[in-house]
Amino acid sequence: MRLALAIGTFLILLIHGVVFYNQFFQKWERNQIAYFGQARSLAKTDAERAALAERKPAIEQIVVSNFGETRVDRCTTCHIASDDPRFAAKAHPLKTHPYSLELGDTQKNGKWERRHKFAEFGCTVCHDGQGRGLEPKYSHGEDEYWPEPLLGYATQEHWRKDFAPKLKGKAFLEANCVQCHTERGFKSTPTVERGRQLFYASNCYGCHRIQGISEGTIGPDLTEVGRTWKVDYLWARIADPKSVLATSIMPKFRLKDDEVKSLVVFLKSRKGRNFAETEIDRFKVKLTGGEPSKAGPQPVEIKPGEMVQQGEKLVADRACAACHKVGEKDGGVAPDLSFEGLLKGEDWLLEHFKNPRSTMPDSIMPAFRFTEAEFKAMTAYLSGLRTVPVLSTPDATYKAFCLRCHGEKGDGQGPIGQHLDPFPRDLTKSGFMNSKPTERLVASIRSGVPGTSMPAWGKVLDETRAKSLLDYIQETFTKEPRRELKARDLPDRNPVPMSPESMTRGQTTFVNRCAGCHGPKGDGKGVNALDILPRPRNLRNGAFVESVNDRRLFDSILYGVQGTAMPPWIDYGLSTNEVGDLVNFIRGINPKPKGGQHAAAN
Amino acid sequence: MAVNLKKISGGTLSPDGSYRRRMLGWLTGVGLVGSGVFSAISNFVFIKPRTASGQPQRFSIGKPEDFPPGARMALGAQRIVVIREGNRLAAVSTTCTQLGCIVGLSDTGFACPCHGSRFDQDGNVTGGPAPRPLPWYKVSLTPNGEIEVDKDTVIQPGSYLSL
Repeated sequence: MRLALAIGTFLILLIHGVVFYNQFFQKWERNQIAYFGQARSLAKTDAERAALAERKPAIEQIVVSNFGETRVDRCTTCHIASDDPRFAAKAHPLKTHPYSLELGDTQKNGKWERRHKFAEFGCTVCHDGQGRGLEPKYSHGEDEYWPEPLLGYATQEHWRKDFAPKLKGKAFLEANCVQCHTERGFKSTPTVERGRQLFYASNCYGCHRIQGISEGTIGPDLTEVGRTWKVDYLWARIADPKSVLATSIMPKFRLKDDEVKSLVVFLKSRKGRNFAETEIDRFKVKLTGGEPSKAGPQPVEIKPGEMVQQGEKLVADRACAACHKVGEKDGGVAPDLSFEGLLKGEDWLLEHFKNPRSTMPDSIMPAFRFTEAEFKAMTAYLSGLRTVPVLSTPDATYKAFCLRCHGEKGDGQGPIGQHLDPFPRDLTKSGFMNSKPTERLVASIRSGVPGTSMPAWGKVLDETRAKSLLDYIQETFTKEPRRELKARDLPDRNPVPMSPESMTRGQTTFVNRCAGCHGPKGDGKGVNALDILPRPRNLRNGAFVESVNDRRLFDSILYGVQGTAMPPWIDYGLSTNEVGDLVNFIRGINPKPKGGQHAAAN
Repeated sequence: MAVNLKKISGGTLSPDGSYRRRMLGWLTGVGLVGSGVFSAISNFVFIKPRTASGQPQRFSIGKPEDFPPGARMALGAQRIVVIREGNRLAAVSTTCTQLGCIVGLSDTGFACPCHGSRFDQDGNVTGGPAPRPLPWYKVSLTPNGEIEVDKDTVIQPGSYLSL
């Protein structure tokens, strides 16, 4: 009993002692005492020595209110020698903050003078970190909850181990330099400038918006990304997008480490507001929404003789293969361009480049800011890709041409299927496949489906090969044998002449009967649309509507589209005349094609 | 108990255990008293917590070249006036010793705008309600060649720093 008591009291004494020591002889105090000692031995005069002998450890702090919220920086409590040039060769924390011309420091008579005096700027305005902290772990922001760890120095425990070592280095500090030095091409911030160039060159601007820099809408707005995310997240998001968010559709760009670093530094510098702008500037931006930037990637001068080569280089440099497949490189988001010359004409390509949605209304491809000459060079290169892959069997043909969209199982769930709108046709739906005449299916293969991602394979697959491919699809995916199709009573031409009255009647019927799925605007975004696969047709897809004749529209409306949610409206009492009005309405809401007449009239 | 202790101490203790008891009693006592002393000291030290608030009281005001000889330069934010005479330099408070207004420079020294206190060039009271002369602060040169004023340390009026 007494032994236990003795041990217990001794333990208590020990704990008291340790707590006492830690509380009253903290690390920063020991640092300061060490500094006073070393400075005494370096001192030249007795007065200096006496002054140092008198000094007691105390918390040093700098209060700065010029940069955003008031900052209290106690960094100099430990880094007490940061302004003492005699400690340049010592180890941290008793080390002089380096002087450098890049920081704007000047040298006079062999003595350096700082451009950014600590008393005026503090520390965290450049370095980040937790200014009030007195323990290294917390003041450096190494705990997972501090939003601003020391830039380029501190890494947090939960950061990915393979990325964490890459997040160190002076270059990361440039993100804070540009909060004041906003002028473009500021010579001390080359990494930010490089990141900005890459933001254009890698086509980030196509999908992402940064106020005053880009207008993309597909990806998240990055205007304040530097304020909301730490560098590890930015790095992981660029280097390996799916590792952060499994559903991300951001392609994996093949960037080198130093390129990712430049982009991370550039993005880290996007904080939505900076110290260089005044309240009035901010108010102006708030009122006007900011000037949309016209800047794009550095234009390349296109020489007429080297159009194709320069186009090829542009396609490679501008990260087209981050989404598309070009030869060996496959981005896994957008269609294969490896033999684009066989599938699309030059005019279509150029048109699609300039405004992707003019040819495919639901395309997610952004409109990029290239010059006309660059567009032409890239078009020239792509339309020159005309090598037909040699494929002996329909099986190999399907794998090479169709699988990317229609999928391994033929169910329209190919690797890029989800990024296409309209979705690729589900070839396993026998209701659809067997209700359409073989000629129409072959025509879909050979002439493509205008306004959608289905290209015209006519130049690659001749009639017999297309037929054998269709047979292969029927056997492998549809499985059910074809039935004899019943002849349907359908007009070849719309019997109701086009007139405003007919369109108004058509509109009434449309709103009553069709808008639930096809949407009140006819854009295929009705309230039920999300529950339906395949999605309701976008009837404002001019190229598509133009490509189908009246007979097919009557067929689809009156007898429905088997294998989809479209019901046979003849069962719901729609007469031929009402359908005629509907057809007129659908044709009327799409701009008239060149030549002024609709397919119906041809 | 006794068997256990014998094992631990190698059997050198006296058989009746009186020495052992006394020693254990001593150890317990030392532990308790030591803890008590530590706690007491801690309590006293904690009465004045080591914190820092506001702008630092020791600060740099720039290079000696910024203050030409003969200058009497008031630094508003820091509430001091820097006096340089030839190669000598000093820092005098500009906070009036009566109610804390900021005194201004006048031809004869300092003048307080609030209640008309007057001070001579060295900060001694020459008129008005001010009870004490203006304090002089310790000035030193830092290793990077800047002048550092320590407002926590008041020195004898008339003691200058030689440059």
